[in-house]
Amino acid sequence: MRIASLLLSLAAACLCLYPLLWMFLSSFKTNREIFQPTNFFPSIFDWSAYRSLLTGEFLPFQKYLINSLLLSSGQAILATSSSLAAGFALAKFRFPGRSVLVGLAILLILIPKQTMVVPTFEWLDRLNLIGSRWSLLLPGAVSGLGVLFFLQIFRNLPNEWMDQARIEGLSPLRAFFLVVPLAMPGVVGFGVLHFVLSWQDHLLPLVVLDDENITLPLALTKLRDASFRIPEAVGMAAACLSLLPVLVLFGLCIGNMKTALREVVQS
Amino acid sequence: MFWLIPMMLGIEISLQDPVFRPSMAGDTGNNFGTSYVGTENFKRVANDPKFWKSLENSLFYVIGSILIILPLSFFLAMNLKEIHRVPRGLLVFCLLVPGLALPGVLSTLFYLFFHGRNGILNQFLVIPLGMEPINWMMDPKFIMPSLILQSVWRWTGMITLFFLCGLEAVPKWQIETARLEGAGAWMRISWVWIPCIRHLGVFAAVFLAVDGFASFSGAYVLLGGSGGMLDSGLLLVTYLYQVAFPGGGGRFDFPAAAAMSLIAFPFAAALSYALLWIRSSASSSK
Repeated sequence: MRIASLLLSLAAACLCLYPLLWMFLSSFKTNREIFQPTNFFPSIFDWSAYRSLLTGEFLPFQKYLINSLLLSSGQAILATSSSLAAGFALAKFRFPGRSVLVGLAILLILIPKQTMVVPTFEWLDRLNLIGSRWSLLLPGAVSGLGVLFFLQIFRNLPNEWMDQARIEGLSPLRAFFLVVPLAMPGVVGFGVLHFVLSWQDHLLPLVVLDDENITLPLALTKLRDASFRIPEAVGMAAACLSLLPVLVLFGLCIGNMKTALREVVQS
Repeated sequence: MFWLIPMMLGIEISLQDPVFRPSMAGDTGNNFGTSYVGTENFKRVANDPKFWKSLENSLFYVIGSILIILPLSFFLAMNLKEIHRVPRGLLVFCLLVPGLALPGVLSTLFYLFFHGRNGILNQFLVIPLGMEPINWMMDPKFIMPSLILQSVWRWTGMITLFFLCGLEAVPKWQIETARLEGAGAWMRISWVWIPCIRHLGVFAAVFLAVDGFASFSGAYVLLGGSGGMLDSGLLLVTYLYQVAFPGGGGRFDFPAAAAMSLIAFPFAAALSYALLWIRSSASSSK
């Protein structure tokens, strides 16, 4: 039983990883080798694709990478802090309109923001933000999922603590800062998740950013668009580099994420 | 009330984006003028066969990927649960990797894999089985399946992780009791394991549904911004983009696009709502 399970999961993992490994190895191949997808290993390991990418031979790739990192982490930090505060308020205080706000958060999850590009675009245009980085940061700073996530986490903390805090004369804000460390796994987990989601977002950056500060998904498409001149290996190298930050981040935080998930799941 | 401000601000901004704007844009005759044309735009969209086609495609995509991913992840999670902790963590991480990559990258890889006769799938699977090599990207019948396959590849790991956490949270005594009562493996799965993670399954389904309706990058890169052959791979958001922005058809038809998203999101919301409803009715009948 155990062995069978192990073998099955191993097979699934291989299936998942195989194309990505192929991608990594392909960043060393020549064009001709790449279009023969059945052969797996390159004939020689040639790092020139990475070199030309990082020296900016075709595109200022480094700039895009840094830009992407900045934008995604900005969105992650903003969204985490806003939904942390919102989740805390919704979980621990009763006030009129509370259920309406929870309903709004659910609505935000149910209506994907991608179907709302057009109104978002117009709205940002009215604010004169189109093209700047803020046009990506502001819509990314809100997350209905995050509000519900933290709502659930804070709900697990005993209410008596809040009563105690009130009796001790702490302001709600003080109490908030005292409670936050207890939600730390959740904070890290959600932050990473949001980082990954905004890292992957394609449509909104495509629509609102100008050519100066595009993000990685767009840069990758560009690399492929002009693929008549650019060797495929460079595209593959770029893809590998774009995977690297999320991979590292996720590898570091996966324990945290599992703790947070378990906390949310159990209730 | 100080702690309320960030939340208010957050919900305020987000609200103004999706809900207020389309009602204005949808009624505006041209982009910057203020001549209101009533429901004209909606009628135009409702008469657009491509819109219905894209909606249908999106529905197919969402339902197809949910139906494949959920059982598959459940199966994987059940298997993973049996494995010792250390290799389990490693395996879960391996499963997660495709979910972390950019969807565009996945599409590029998929393109190479499906491409023509030489693609991996044709070479390793279809031809050895004695079938005609399938032209995955060009044959209208196979475009949607390959999109769904891509979504399966991308999300299975994530959902498996969800389920695994859920399964680990199931108290041991329940399983022991079931075993003592003489329940076989199948009985244990259908009466203990599945009910215990049903709420997670619903959540995962909603998540996948929303993501499916919103998916853009994968299809955009895979099919080069078009709908593919005979529009058989045209997803809702791709079409929205084509209508509104110059990258696609160059129609710059903002009002129509806004009207489209207004028509479309009740469908998305209804689907997700239906899933939630199934859940609540199931738990109340318990």
